[in-house]
Amino acid sequence: MIPTKESVEPDDRQLVETIRGGDADAFELLVRRKTSKVYALCYRIIGNAEDAKDISQLVFLKLWENLEKYDPQYAFDTWLYRMVTNVAIDFMRNRQSRENAVNSNLRLVKTSADPEQGVIVQRKEIEAVFQEVSAGLSPKQKTIFVMNQMNDMPSAEIAKVLGCRESTVRNHLFNARKTMQQQLEKRFPEYARLWRRR
Amino acid sequence: MIACRDFRAELTANANDPKLLEHVRACDSCLDYAASFDPDIVFRAIGGGDLVPPGGVDAFVDDVMRQVRVRAAANVVSVPNRWTWRRLSAAAAIAAGVTGAALVYQHDRTIVPAAVLNPRPVAAANLTTKPVVETYESEKATIVEVPTADTGSAQVVMIFDDALPSDL
Repeated sequence: MIPTKESVEPDDRQLVETIRGGDADAFELLVRRKTSKVYALCYRIIGNAEDAKDISQLVFLKLWENLEKYDPQYAFDTWLYRMVTNVAIDFMRNRQSRENAVNSNLRLVKTSADPEQGVIVQRKEIEAVFQEVSAGLSPKQKTIFVMNQMNDMPSAEIAKVLGCRESTVRNHLFNARKTMQQQLEKRFPEYARLWRRR
Repeated sequence: MIACRDFRAELTANANDPKLLEHVRACDSCLDYAASFDPDIVFRAIGGGDLVPPGGVDAFVDDVMRQVRVRAAANVVSVPNRWTWRRLSAAAAIAAGVTGAALVYQHDRTIVPAAVLNPRPVAAANLTTKPVVETYESEKATIVEVPTADTGSAQVVMIFDDALPSDL
């Protein structure tokens, strides 16, 4: 049952129940609702738009196939993010996309060095620097860093998503920060100096 | 969103305040300022906002739904086939196992010396391959006839003669 525009939109749990009842249109609504979030997380973990799109689609297909396993007593987003992080981490481990990310980001950093370019480019440059310095992180460290520092998820929630202890998450965060600061000094000393001077 | 002056006044290292993060994610001059305190905040400035996949959300959703339909159709078609093939392969495996076991059993039976298993039938078989002697006449031979208990007639005859072939 797809609600009309006048009616209140069903929440995620209700939508899942409807899909379980065999309503494919409800699944389409769920995909539309979650696409931007899922894609954004994939993109920030993987660092490549096309790969992130493929992985996001794979996540939704897995969601379709495993929807019966979802337990409504848990938050749907936690379950969804677990699926996203599992697929993204597997992808990074299997295809060594880390090297691809480094190469593509080097290109981005070079092309965005023009000071005349506007705000968006500057933001993109930061993203490029992030992908560069985070290339030395393990897939799990990077995933945790992205969820905590960019998605503002507390470590307790990340622990639920990844199915590990909160102390493990904090440990990964600490190590990720340390590695990234070292990488920043090593690969972008001009950035580090610039920031310190200001 | 808070003002730049408030942001700079409240900014501390490892700022986790949502108001500060919201500001630094939107204001470039404050991002530069914040970076001088803590390089970490520069990456926080990227933010976790929603992103649109290449080609747009509509195309993305259409792609997903197309693949879902294909998979759903493939499952409907393949489920009976998959079970049929599984059953057939299980039956083939059982048949192969039974046949193999029978062959091994037969092979074992043939390689064991027959005399060890059942010496009497083998001896009888050997006797039947030899010619039956209807009549025999020789001056040098010794002929012994053994009568059987039930008929009284001579059934077993032993002939001792050097002139006879050794396999008779």
